[in-house]
Amino acid sequence: MNAISRQTKSWMAVGGAVAVAAIALFALFGTLPAMGADAGPAAHSAQDAAHASASHGADDHGHAAVSVFSLKQIAHSYLTAYMFCLSLCVGSLFLTLAHHLFDAGWSASIRRVTETVASLLFPWMLILALPIIVFAWTGNLHAWFKIDPASDHALDVKKVLFNPMTFTVLVPVLITLLGLLARQIRAWSIAQDKDGAAHWTSKSRKLAAGGIFFFAFGVTLLCFLLMKSLQHQFFSTMYGVYYFAGSVWTTLITLYLLTMWLSQPGRPLEKVYFKRQQQDLGVLFFAFTVFYSYIHFSQYFLIWNAAIPEETFWYVRREVGSWKWVGMTILFGHFFVPFLILLNQDIKRNLAVMIPVGAWAWLMQYVDMTYNVMPVVHPDGLHLTLWDPIFWIGMSVVLARLFWSDYRKNPAYPLKDPRLQEAIIHHEVPAPGASAAH
Amino acid sequence: MSSNRSKPHGLLAEFHTAADIFEAAIRCRDAGFTQWDVYTPFPIHGMDEAMGLRKSPVGWFTFCGGFTGFFTGMTMIWYMNKFDYPLVVGGKPLFTPLYAFPVSYEMTILLSAFGTLFGMFFLNRLPKFYNPLFKNERFKKSTDDRFFICIEATDPKFGTDATRTFLTEKCHAAVVELVED
Repeated sequence: MNAISRQTKSWMAVGGAVAVAAIALFALFGTLPAMGADAGPAAHSAQDAAHASASHGADDHGHAAVSVFSLKQIAHSYLTAYMFCLSLCVGSLFLTLAHHLFDAGWSASIRRVTETVASLLFPWMLILALPIIVFAWTGNLHAWFKIDPASDHALDVKKVLFNPMTFTVLVPVLITLLGLLARQIRAWSIAQDKDGAAHWTSKSRKLAAGGIFFFAFGVTLLCFLLMKSLQHQFFSTMYGVYYFAGSVWTTLITLYLLTMWLSQPGRPLEKVYFKRQQQDLGVLFFAFTVFYSYIHFSQYFLIWNAAIPEETFWYVRREVGSWKWVGMTILFGHFFVPFLILLNQDIKRNLAVMIPVGAWAWLMQYVDMTYNVMPVVHPDGLHLTLWDPIFWIGMSVVLARLFWSDYRKNPAYPLKDPRLQEAIIHHEVPAPGASAAH
Repeated sequence: MSSNRSKPHGLLAEFHTAADIFEAAIRCRDAGFTQWDVYTPFPIHGMDEAMGLRKSPVGWFTFCGGFTGFFTGMTMIWYMNKFDYPLVVGGKPLFTPLYAFPVSYEMTILLSAFGTLFGMFFLNRLPKFYNPLFKNERFKKSTDDRFFICIEATDPKFGTDATRTFLTEKCHAAVVELVED
């Protein structure tokens, strides 16, 4: 017990140090956008073009320059951080559901980690969502909270979903239901730790079969409401799966590093985590690198090819000023670089590569969320403020702490899962020369 | 045995369980044989390591195929749409990697698959129409419930009697001699 709390403390210290370093970095860069904002007439005319192409003429209330200490800035920084943390929770829920749906063996020994991360959805992610609703009602987030649908055709046709009451009810309900789904599956898994009965597994599988549909609709609706509707004129049916792909991508590398850490000598997963789990998580991470790019490229390409102003304005807005380079960073940093690094089979077990790749993946997911949220308040280009690292690191650290205290309460892996044996079968092959004595 | 009939191909050792052949493979590896192979009705986890196999180089053929495919796709579309017969479609640029990407991507997959398949053929020296193993009746059980190791006569460490002793005494296998025809 003492050892664990000491570990936690040192880990918190490392987190704190990283946070301070990041804040210092952001403070330094926070002064740069002042130069970016005066990018000159080119940026402004491009911005005008973006306006013109949003053919409904809906004025975007977020378009005025936003000062660092305005509620609007705080709200958007908070939402970016929230979407990042939400992606880890929904990604974990997906991996838990997928484990049961495929009746998988290899992932049985690491399932308690995804179950616990997904359980953060309720109540913690619900509580963390409440400020977003308050920000929205006070006119600091979604412009359509303050627009009369009668004056805005783009909003009028979507008012069934995009109206303050639906938002206020649906967002908490969806997060709660996703959270209860995660908690139910974990509760059954913990019940199985006691009696080892196989029927808990089949119950979870049945719930996962229905749950995956709810998951798909729920996550799509959530990211439509929270993030996509910041620019309610936009259309993209791929937006939900785009958010999902990025979420699972980030979750997989997080799970990779977390289970790697948990399996070090003396830690709880030491005896149930092998090269196989590490390799498979690496392979899945690689697969989702490709899947994310496939989805994001498809969204971009279809919009580019059709060239309909209702859709193109979203990307046109994101080619203004330094946003163009943020987009390029996502193209290369979220896809090409990790893709080429991970092509090699053995790299996926090389920690000297995978740890930096993991840190990079977290940064890329955050950049991706920024790319979705921030152009609304900073149309001229990327504008980092202190709020960004404060909320991003702060929320992550708080949730990590909650995860850890929750994780310690239960056995570290499903003790009596019928598939556990498959996960921990380990072929110890003697190295050359070892059998000479026989 | 009677080696005066024809050239020996190798020795075929028969095992009854996956565990037996796994142990035997480790012994063969440690005995330093190089020209030998394991034949089993199903994949056995860890066998690559037990046999001391290196990682297959076939991935390089895949990579080269994919690389060629991607740039062939890009070059082809650039040549056709911008260079050879410029044609404006839908007000789009004559060439941009954007619309060339889906085709290049599919060319990448196609040539990666070709690289993998033909690279594997090349490395395995396939197609090969005959192998002395085919003439052994018992070997047919390798697709059913028996496990075989064949140590070939081309192995520098191969000696008919010494290898036979090794397989029967160290690996506890039933051994038959195979001959070339």
